[in-house]
Amino acid sequence: MTMTNPNDDMLDDLFTQASAQPPAQPSEDLIARVLADAAGVQPAPSAHVIGQPGLWARIMDAIGGWPALGGLAAATVAGIWVGVAPPASVSDLTARLMGDTVSVDLFSTTLLLDAGALSDG
Amino acid sequence: MTTSPDPFAGASDAAVLVAFANGDGQAARVLTARLLPRVLAQATRLLANPAEAEDVAQDAMMRLWKVAPEWRQDEAQISTWLYRVVANLCTDRLRKRRSVALDQVAEPLDGSPSVAAQMQTQARMRALSDAMAALPERQAQAVSLRHLEGLSNPEIAQIMDISVRSVESLTARGKRALAEVMAGRKAELGYDDDEPE
Repeated sequence: MTMTNPNDDMLDDLFTQASAQPPAQPSEDLIARVLADAAGVQPAPSAHVIGQPGLWARIMDAIGGWPALGGLAAATVAGIWVGVAPPASVSDLTARLMGDTVSVDLFSTTLLLDAGALSDG
Repeated sequence: MTTSPDPFAGASDAAVLVAFANGDGQAARVLTARLLPRVLAQATRLLANPAEAEDVAQDAMMRLWKVAPEWRQDEAQISTWLYRVVANLCTDRLRKRRSVALDQVAEPLDGSPSVAAQMQTQARMRALSDAMAALPERQAQAVSLRHLEGLSNPEIAQIMDISVRSVESLTARGKRALAEVMAGRKAELGYDDDEPE
């Protein structure tokens, strides 16, 4: 028995007609519906992609970037060093500006003892 | 800087889908322009009903949007995946038709011969679609992918995730069953006096 069927001709013709149909173009309405669906379920973009600069970046920007930060650090270290071990020139300068009676005497042990003796008496 | 209608020109569909999943604002429009026409055409050929085909096309695209975050680029081609989704959605629709009486075939009335021929073509397409509804779903999918979409058996095997031999078997049995279903409608579809060449 062969598989030849008189209805096969009709079927082949129907398939040919179906394939030959001009493809339907999506209507504006369908496109709008599809895009609305997409917008409804699309994940939000990652924050870092479009986010604002962070706090550190904004501080750096405000003070003028790395060069300014380097200068600031050097000045800080120098200030601390001057406070810990003042060079002779600084002492001379303060003596000239403020006179000979400087705080060094105020904090000397003998003066404190004398002051204590005076207050007792 | 030049403006391009497709900001993803040259990028694969999968790459654009990844961009969509990352929140790109252009990706959905690009993918819709690339994929929706083919999705709609497949649904229209199998369902022969524009409104139903549009619903299926929208549903298939929605499934694509939802699967985007988990899409693995090496897993499957989007076109293959969409063929499968549309075929499944269409056979779901066809199954629901089984409980409904077959549509009356519109008789070509007066009017120009081209209009009459167009109406007859529509009637035939609808009859073919209704006959597809009578087939088991896998047969209907295989037959539609082979004879309506014109895909090769290896392509269909990949879409349906079966062997090529199974595709051959499904299409052969499906076509035979389809011919039997259609036999009773030969006269009303104009095949008695309008023999195909």
